[in-house]
Amino acid sequence: MSAIKTALTDPLFNKNPIALQILGICSALAVTTSLQVTLVMCIAVIAVVAFSNVGVSIIRNHIPNNIRIIVQMIIIASLVIVVDQILKAYAYETSKQLSVFVGLIITNCIVMGRAEAYAMKNGPVPSFFDGIGNGLGYSIVLIVVASIRELFGAGKLLGYEILPLVQDGGWYQTNGMLLLPPSAFFIIGLFIWALRSWKTDQVEAADFKIQPNTVNSGGH
Amino acid sequence: MLRALLDKLAPSFEKGGKYQKMYPLYEAVDTGLYSPPSVTNNTAHVRDGIDLKRIMITVWMCTFPAMFFGMYNIGLQANLALEAGTGTAIEDWRMVLIHLLGGSAHNAASIWDNIVFGAAYFLPVYAVTFIVGGFWEVLFATVRKHEVNEGFFVTSVLFALILPASIPLWQVALGITFGVVIGKEIFGGTGKNFLNPALTGRAFLFFAYPAEISGDSVWTAVDGFSGATALSNAYEGGVAQIEASGISWMDAFLGTIQGSMGETSTLAILLGGAVLLVMGIASWRIVLGVFLGMVATSLLFNGIGSDTNPLFALPWYWHLVLGGFAFGMIFMATDPVSASMTNTGKFIFGALIGLMVVMIRVVNPAFPEGMMLAILFANLFSPLIDHFVVQANIKRRIARVSQ
Amino acid sequence: MSANNDSIQKTLLVAVLLCLVCSIIVAGAAVSLKPLQIANKEEDKRRNILVAAGLWQPGANTAELFEQISPRLVNLAEGRFANDDELAQIRAAGLNPEAYDQIKAAKLPALSQRLDSSTDIASIRRLEHFAEVFMVYEDDVLKTIVMPVHGYGLWSTLYGFIALENDLNTVAGFGFYAHAETPGLGGEVDNPNWKEKWIGKRLNNDSGELAIEVIKGEAPRDDAHRIDGLSGATLTARGVNNLVRFWVGDNAFGPFLANLKHGEI
Repeated sequence: MSAIKTALTDPLFNKNPIALQILGICSALAVTTSLQVTLVMCIAVIAVVAFSNVGVSIIRNHIPNNIRIIVQMIIIASLVIVVDQILKAYAYETSKQLSVFVGLIITNCIVMGRAEAYAMKNGPVPSFFDGIGNGLGYSIVLIVVASIRELFGAGKLLGYEILPLVQDGGWYQTNGMLLLPPSAFFIIGLFIWALRSWKTDQVEAADFKIQPNTVNSGGH
Repeated sequence: MLRALLDKLAPSFEKGGKYQKMYPLYEAVDTGLYSPPSVTNNTAHVRDGIDLKRIMITVWMCTFPAMFFGMYNIGLQANLALEAGTGTAIEDWRMVLIHLLGGSAHNAASIWDNIVFGAAYFLPVYAVTFIVGGFWEVLFATVRKHEVNEGFFVTSVLFALILPASIPLWQVALGITFGVVIGKEIFGGTGKNFLNPALTGRAFLFFAYPAEISGDSVWTAVDGFSGATALSNAYEGGVAQIEASGISWMDAFLGTIQGSMGETSTLAILLGGAVLLVMGIASWRIVLGVFLGMVATSLLFNGIGSDTNPLFALPWYWHLVLGGFAFGMIFMATDPVSASMTNTGKFIFGALIGLMVVMIRVVNPAFPEGMMLAILFANLFSPLIDHFVVQANIKRRIARVSQ
Repeated sequence: MSANNDSIQKTLLVAVLLCLVCSIIVAGAAVSLKPLQIANKEEDKRRNILVAAGLWQPGANTAELFEQISPRLVNLAEGRFANDDELAQIRAAGLNPEAYDQIKAAKLPALSQRLDSSTDIASIRRLEHFAEVFMVYEDDVLKTIVMPVHGYGLWSTLYGFIALENDLNTVAGFGFYAHAETPGLGGEVDNPNWKEKWIGKRLNNDSGELAIEVIKGEAPRDDAHRIDGLSGATLTARGVNNLVRFWVGDNAFGPFLANLKHGEI
């Protein structure tokens, strides 16, 4: 039971796939301009990671080693197509905004990474929770980024006006940069900074140290 | 006496003292007034009367011609617009200030009226930059236990000079915050930043609040005024259109045109630049590289020609005096931290800026001015340029040895 | 076991079985969800048309509202509704006239023509022979006509609709449903305040010349033809100006509007 709990909670902050392993960044840049779209994307990713983990885990003892990546890829790709079809049928507006990025879940390193690193070695149940956990870890970062971008970039959250805009007679002037993809880089960077200040064991060892070239002589 | 006072205070700021956390603040005041107590103790080192502090103060003073001319020009542009009736005065606290200082006549022929008007716009921007940016500097210095770096002196004045006069002060605060924190401190502070912090801050504002830092109505500090800048005129119809709008080359060279606060006068910038070049503070290699890169690229475009894009035909001596080219070339590209370090690298780095600025101006329809983006772009490449220069050098030496 | 797994037979078996299972799942999902997806796409398009015609109400049933609207195909060059032969021609090219895909038609050589650069002010390269218009009738009298427009702005092609009142000269509604212009600058084409400025403007002046224009800066109040430009987005505004002038002009809907006005069709 504790193994499942670890599988579920570890990826949230201790081993966050985006913040620690720096995986899945591309979609984090592209889909985080509005919170609603982000939430749908997160659900899609959670579903794909969890079920691809289960799928890979079930047949892990039968996967020939030399085609294992292809096998994982097929399972992931099939799941992504199914998710894409479901979104187009039941959440058309959002799927239009997500456009190619649902399809690009296939190339999201987190999905493949978990299949290869965890599901190949563990049973279906822990694999399922590992998938949920990693999907949630991804989601936490995306939701933080999207909340900031939508709130300060458009003055809204989930489409509801929070900060009244200057254009509509309010006081808040939107920050246009937050609607451009690079802003997600800055926010993720700041998020990682905050996370590593909190959990200092995640800080990587310095490659080198600059020697001081002056000493305090004491006099003037 | 001051020395004695500082020395007396020293223990309470040093390790274990009462105000240990405030040490960077003490250090900044102390070394600002006296030469630093720390001396070089290892490996070979060329000693020179010029240290980092003196360099920074010199650069700061070299911006004065551009700064004072800038203030005069802000007033001149605004007062001209008021006289012509193409705009109305913005009645806010600045106007109260201008009235108090006797600039209420808005006479564009009066130097005093213009300077007072300009000062009422420039100085608040500069003050906000200094206070907010300084706050971040001291905060990071305190937390990281390093010293406040004098580089901020230069960053703050440069940042203030490249903004339009009408910029809201809260945006100034946000911009310098971004410049200092994201452009510098995140990477470890002065010396480790690979981007020019002042330009990083401006780029942030440019993308975040484009309506306040680009277009036709932000450059002159009066309400309701709208006038195309020389560069957007050039985009519409080349030199003919600029001259049709009443701007001669000499106007652009002297700087009596619209633009960011300290960027308009090529003459004033070159005055300060000459001092920097003679003293060896600004690298002549970079400046020459930028200039030659710009000339070569604009000549290339002149040669290619275009029926639909009049900017192709814009000659190099116009590129030189328009927009932020001169200011960027003298004060931004030569930032020793974010530019290339090697001598060959400096030429390449400069030429890259000159190439990019003309490319952006001429062929990118979205951005009328390209100096800021060109320098930031070249900043990203400067470590790579250095790397290849060093590698090439090593290869050449190995070849020489193995003969 | 791993040695066994890596035998050729096992590899082939796993590969074939997996492909089979996955393709069944994917095909099953695609086929069973297809009707819903098509309905969604249709609904989306209808809603955009209703918005441009000023008929859309939030929460209302789109299909019901759309019953007020009759889509018709127009032969742009001739300026009249498409006849049966032409509908057959569209079918022959592989498109369904009942659910006409105009963007796709512009890509088919049989249903479109190249524009030369002097006429192509909207930078669309190819112009379709047939365009779909949406007529709103009230008591059998034409009330509003909605026409699709598209053209290049600064970064992207903008797709939208322009609606005209029954004098076929006054703008009743205007807006884009797809574009990728700079947020905050060109993206302000979506600003409701700006879209409102279009309403009531006239396409042609009294002598019948095309006069509608997006200008740089602010247009004088009560100007009948000119619309304020977008601050800081000169090129997007110019693109919008060009595409509107193109689509209501002589090379696109112009002849059709003229004929309709004179009651010749």
